[in-house]
Amino acid sequence: MKKIAFKTLGCRLNQYETDALASRFHTGSYQIVDFNDEADIYIVNTCTVTNQSDQKSRQTISQARKKKEDALVVVTGCMANNYKESLLESKAIDFVVDNERKASIYGIVEKHFRGEVADPEGFDKDVFNYEAAYKTFHTRSMIKIQDGCDNFCTFCIIPKVRGRATSRPAEEIYANIREVIQYGFKEIVLTGVNIGRYEDGDTDFEKLVENILEIPGDFRLRISSIEPDGFTHRFFELFAHPKLTPHLHLCLQSGAESVLLKMRRMYTAKQFRQMAEKLRSMYPDFNLTTDIIVGFPAESEAEFEQSVTMAKELSFSHIHTFKYSVRSGTRAERMSEQIGEKVKNQRSEVIRKLSEENKRNYYKSMVGKKQRMLVERIGGDGVARGYGENYIPIRLKAAGLVKNQFIDVEITGLHEAKELEVTAKVI
Amino acid sequence: MQNDNIHEIISIRHLTDSTYIIQMSRRGLKFRAGQHILLGKAGSIHNREYSVYSGEKDSYFEVLIKEVDDGMVSKQLKKLKAGDKVQIEGPLGFFTIEPELIEKEKFLFVATGTGIAPFHSFSRSYPEIDFLLLHGVRNANESYEKNHYPKERHILCTSGDKKGDFHGRVTEYIMKNRVSPDTHCYLCGNFNMIHEVFDLLEQQGVPPEQVHAEVYF
Repeated sequence: MKKIAFKTLGCRLNQYETDALASRFHTGSYQIVDFNDEADIYIVNTCTVTNQSDQKSRQTISQARKKKEDALVVVTGCMANNYKESLLESKAIDFVVDNERKASIYGIVEKHFRGEVADPEGFDKDVFNYEAAYKTFHTRSMIKIQDGCDNFCTFCIIPKVRGRATSRPAEEIYANIREVIQYGFKEIVLTGVNIGRYEDGDTDFEKLVENILEIPGDFRLRISSIEPDGFTHRFFELFAHPKLTPHLHLCLQSGAESVLLKMRRMYTAKQFRQMAEKLRSMYPDFNLTTDIIVGFPAESEAEFEQSVTMAKELSFSHIHTFKYSVRSGTRAERMSEQIGEKVKNQRSEVIRKLSEENKRNYYKSMVGKKQRMLVERIGGDGVARGYGENYIPIRLKAAGLVKNQFIDVEITGLHEAKELEVTAKVI
Repeated sequence: MQNDNIHEIISIRHLTDSTYIIQMSRRGLKFRAGQHILLGKAGSIHNREYSVYSGEKDSYFEVLIKEVDDGMVSKQLKKLKAGDKVQIEGPLGFFTIEPELIEKEKFLFVATGTGIAPFHSFSRSYPEIDFLLLHGVRNANESYEKNHYPKERHILCTSGDKKGDFHGRVTEYIMKNRVSPDTHCYLCGNFNMIHEVFDLLEQQGVPPEQVHAEVYF
C-alpha cells in the first residue's frame, strides 16, 4: 500500500480541499501518513496570499522533496496558479496542478503509477468535483459552497488565482451535508472564497443557510469567514436558529474609511460598525473575529490608529493580522507610498497584543455561561478539548466523555496554556 | 477560431488631447450598467479597469479613457485604430442599480473626470431614470459629451475656468445644494472626492446604505 502525506497552507477552503482529497485517497487504498514521515507521495496545497505564504509554500515543497528523493511531489493550490511556469521548472516537483484541476489529483497520481502519461492539463476543470469527505484531519466537516471572487479588492491576488465567483449547485450542497451528517460529523463549516456572494438561481446565501438549517440531524452550522457586504435583516435573524453558531469571522481589513476606499472594499467602516453592533444587540455574547491588514500603501499612523480603535471598541476576540505585501498584478502594486517592513512589524505587534487582550476579556465575559461543547479530542490525562458554539476552546475533565459528542457545560474560568482556553464543568 | 474575449475596435473618438472613447464590437457580451471591464491590447499581458460607457442595449461596447502621463495601457490603447483587436475580461463589479429602484427612486450621480462613464451607461440604459448628474472637471472642455444628457439633469462643475454650470468642485455644489435623504447616491471618480462626498452626504442625512462608490485611481 502506498503512503501519502498532505500539507495544507492558508485558508479553510484549502483545508476542505485537502480533506476531500485525503478521503479519496483513503478510499483508494492509500495509507495516509503524517507529513513529517516518509511517504511515496507528498501533496502540498499551497497559498500565495502574502509573501510569507509564498515562502512557506516553497519551504514545504523543499521539505517534501528532502524527505524522500524518489517520492512523487504534487504541488497544487493558489501558488500553483500564480507561479505555474517557475514551479514547472523546479526539479523538486513532479506535478503542478492548478486549483481548477485540484479535484483530479487522485486521477493524476493513479495514472502516474500505472505508468501512463499523467499530464494535469489533460484533466477537466471542475472546482466542485469533490466527494463528501468522511476521512478528514478535522472533527468539523467543511463544505465548499462557492469558489472565486469578483470583488477585486486592490490588495488581493485571489481573483487571479481562484478565478471569477462561481457557486456550487444548492442541491449538491444539501446532499453533501446529509452525507457528512450520516458519517457522524456534528459541526458543518461553510467554506468558499466569498461565500456571502453565493447565488444559485433563486437561492442566495441567506436562503441557502435557511435550507441547511432545516436539514434533520443533530448538528450545528458555522458560517465562519464572510465578507461584510450585502447583508439584509434576514441575515441577522438567521442566528436566532439554535443550529447556527453565534460566531462570525467578519473581515474588517481596516478601520479607516480612507484605507477601505483605497482597498476598494464593499463597505464603509461605519457600515461595518453598524453590522457588528446589530449582531451584539440581538445576541449579546456573539463572538466576532476578524482580519486586519497593516501597512497598506500610504496607511498613516492616524489611519492605523483608527483600526486599533475599532478593534478595541468592537472587541474582536481574535484578530488575524496580515502585513500587507505587494502581490503582482493587483492595483495596489502600482500605488505609491509603500510602507516599510519595520513599520508593518510594529503595527502588526500592536494588533497582535490587542487581539490577545480582547480574547482574554471575551473569555472572561463568558465565565458562568453555558456552552454546548463538541468534544474533539481526549488527552491521555483524561482532559477533553473542543469548542463551544461561540467558538471558544474549552477544556473539560469529566468521566464518560466520548469524542465527537455534544456536551452541555458551564464555563468556570480561564486556563493558561500555549493558547488561552477556558475550563468548564458538565451541567 | 476567435478567442471569446477578443473584440474588434470599431472606432476611436477623441474628446480632448488626452481623453478618448474606444468603441468595440459587443459580441453578445452581457453586462449591467455600472460594471467595468479589464481591457488591454490583444496579446498583451497588461490590462486596466475601465467602466463601460455604452448602454446595456447598445450593439457595441464603449469605454472612456484618459491617457495617463506615466501610464502604459492607456497609451497603448490610444495608438490603436479601427480594425485592431483588444481583449476584454469581465464584466465585473457591483456598482449597479437594483432594477426595482430604477423607476421609483431618485438618484444623484457624482463624478469627477472620466468617472462619468458609468453614469453615461446608466442614463443610456435606463432612459426613464430620475437622476441629477454632477460632473466635476477642471475646465469645461472636459465635459465629455455633455449633450448626451438632458440639460436639466447635468450640472458641469468646473474648478478651473468659469464656463461650467457651477464654478467650483462637486463638493462645494453639494454643500450649497442639500441632497434629500431619500436620494440614492452613486459616486465615481477620484479617491478624495468620494471620501469627501461620503462625509457630506452623511452630514446631510443620507443613509450610508444609499451611498455607493466606485473609486478610480
